[in-house]
Amino acid sequence: MANQTRRNFIKTSALITSATIGLTNKSKAAPKYILSEDRMGVLVDTTVCIGCRKCEWACKVEHNLPTSAIETYDDRSVFNEKRRPNDKALTVVNEYPNDYSDKFPINVKVQCMHCDKPACLSACIVGAFSKHENGAVTWDTSKCIGCRYCMVACPFQIPAFEFEKALKPDIKKCDFCYEQRTSKGKLPACVEICPVEAITFGRREDLIKTARQKIKIYPNRYINRIFGEYEVGGTSWLYLASKEFEKLDFPKLGKDPAPGVSEAIQHGIFAYFVPPVALYALLGGIMWINKNKKSKEKEQEK
Amino acid sequence: MKKFVLFIFVLPLLIYSQTKINVNHKYQELKCKTCHSCDIPTKEKPCLIECPRDKMVSVTQKPEDGPEILTINKIKFENDLYKPVTFTHRLHAEMSDMAGGCKMCHHYNPPGKIIGCIDCHQIERNRIDISKPDLKGAYHQQCMNCHRQWSGKVECESCHELNSSQKSENQKTINSSKKMHPKIEVPAIIKYETPKTKGNLVLFLHNEHIKTFSLDCQNCHSNESCNKCHYKFNPKPEKLKSTLEKHLKCSNCHNTKSNCSFCHSNNPQREFNHFARTGFDISNYHVKLTCQRCHIEKGKFTGLVSDCSSCHGVWSKSNFKHTVVGLQLDETHNEFDCTECHQEKNYKRPGCKNCHEDKTYPKEKPGKLVKK
Ligand code: SF4
Ligand code: SF4
Ligand code: SF4
Repeated sequence: MANQTRRNFIKTSALITSATIGLTNKSKAAPKYILSEDRMGVLVDTTVCIGCRKCEWACKVEHNLPTSAIETYDDRSVFNEKRRPNDKALTVVNEYPNDYSDKFPINVKVQCMHCDKPACLSACIVGAFSKHENGAVTWDTSKCIGCRYCMVACPFQIPAFEFEKALKPDIKKCDFCYEQRTSKGKLPACVEICPVEAITFGRREDLIKTARQKIKIYPNRYINRIFGEYEVGGTSWLYLASKEFEKLDFPKLGKDPAPGVSEAIQHGIFAYFVPPVALYALLGGIMWINKNKKSKEKEQEK
Repeated sequence: MKKFVLFIFVLPLLIYSQTKINVNHKYQELKCKTCHSCDIPTKEKPCLIECPRDKMVSVTQKPEDGPEILTINKIKFENDLYKPVTFTHRLHAEMSDMAGGCKMCHHYNPPGKIIGCIDCHQIERNRIDISKPDLKGAYHQQCMNCHRQWSGKVECESCHELNSSQKSENQKTINSSKKMHPKIEVPAIIKYETPKTKGNLVLFLHNEHIKTFSLDCQNCHSNESCNKCHYKFNPKPEKLKSTLEKHLKCSNCHNTKSNCSFCHSNNPQREFNHFARTGFDISNYHVKLTCQRCHIEKGKFTGLVSDCSSCHGVWSKSNFKHTVVGLQLDETHNEFDCTECHQEKNYKRPGCKNCHEDKTYPKEKPGKLVKK
């Protein structure tokens, strides 16, 4: 038994390594952690966003979530309260006052940031989460055991839980439109519909270059900071704004990945001197292999 | 294929620009390399430099020079929710005429070729070069900039009709093409009442400024919102501006940090008097000149010396007809060098003492009076 576990460990490590350096890993369900140089992202320019909420509509349609007709999204009274993404809306747009002009309120689209070092991925004890080559952070519903560690771990409080569903509730969050769109090289639904292209899809590196250029050309328009460039180790979604991000309800975060609760969880369980991301990926890997093995054994028994 | 489609769209624009706009940029003070990357640009291969170009020259055209109506249907998808926009180009050009002119939307409006949005902004949103917005983004960003100020709303249906709607596009076209922006009345004098106790009034001689400094509206009024005149949606006065902001436009030419009384006064003078302001009397010989003849640099009105020679060079008999001042010199006086009588640098009317003891001048003139 001890031997077998060891062998499994070695096997799994090899698998994770191969996944990490981006070699093809055919199995769809395998947890991955890939930090590709060419990973994609989205630059949200909050000075351009007009708060039309078409992105909210498109996201719901794309994910088969119930939605009212597109015309109803013109109703700006929803901005009277601050909303958060939940299991019924994977992205929401909020509104904040513009100190210089009441004609141009600041609108901020909120969704999963698709972190480069995702706390959700680290925290998930069954390895349901993956960080894909294109930057998307997704989760595997079939593996989710409903422990909700990811919800607690996420520094942006993104993953939502379908509390209303009694049978097989699932975690819900923006999936970067991975399955249907971005994995096939298509644009996310929200990016495609945005009338003003306040949200630009592109290589993360190019997005940062573009953002820097914008700040340089229009120093009065932007504060000199790209949110997500360094926060929690960097995120795939990046933001530009005309005023301090903290005033737009962005959490105050350091450069270190996965701060706070998630770290406590990780460190409580593993006191090893190994990066938590790797450890969790490893653990996820083991569980997956064991699961596979068991099902194979079952098949063989049959 | 994509290139071909793009070509189809650009073609009418090209043809339009070749035929309608008759600005010969050969005679403009332009270096070829400002716009073209190759040495010998041709019509077929103009090798235009990618926008945004650093040193672009923009000209302003009249609203009626452009197309009356454009149907913006360059971006098409299978599942489009909305119909194309019928854009009343002339009406919008009229509206922007008093703000930024063509430049309000065409960031650059070089002489010769009209640069449409599509020439620089790609149709495809999923693209490599993301340094500038795609076409759909570029269009909407331009529109929303003003429309948001105008109505405070962002709903699509103020410009687009839903694809499911029954109304025909044509009706909208007909309705909007009849609209015209009323001619903007140019105020002659604007009176500002300021909170300043000493010199609370500023009489801004608006027309005088335009004439004196040969200004276009856009020189001062750029990026102005419709709301400046149309208070329809915002009856509140604008937020109180800082002293700096209030003086922003004036301080382009005037020193607004000191010398307040130059503009502020309790009973301001109406006319512009060159002699009172500068000490140089232009009423005799220089009154017909435009300001630019002497003040060559736009908006720069200091630093000129009042020596005649600084503009006219050195006068001699060969280059100065004395009759222009109304006196035809007699034979004796015609022999002299100018400076023998006019000893001051401003060539003012001389005395006769230098040569004549009897001081008969001006009774006995050194010549015959003629019409100026
Ligand atoms: S924002 Fe939260 S849910 Fe999204 S990738 Fe980061 S940690 Fe995970
Ligand atoms: S990327 Fe996809 S899932 Fe995420 S907010 Fe946009 S449309 Fe929704
Ligand atoms: S669709 Fe674009 S402009 Fe509209 S709310 Fe979303 S991000 Fe903002």
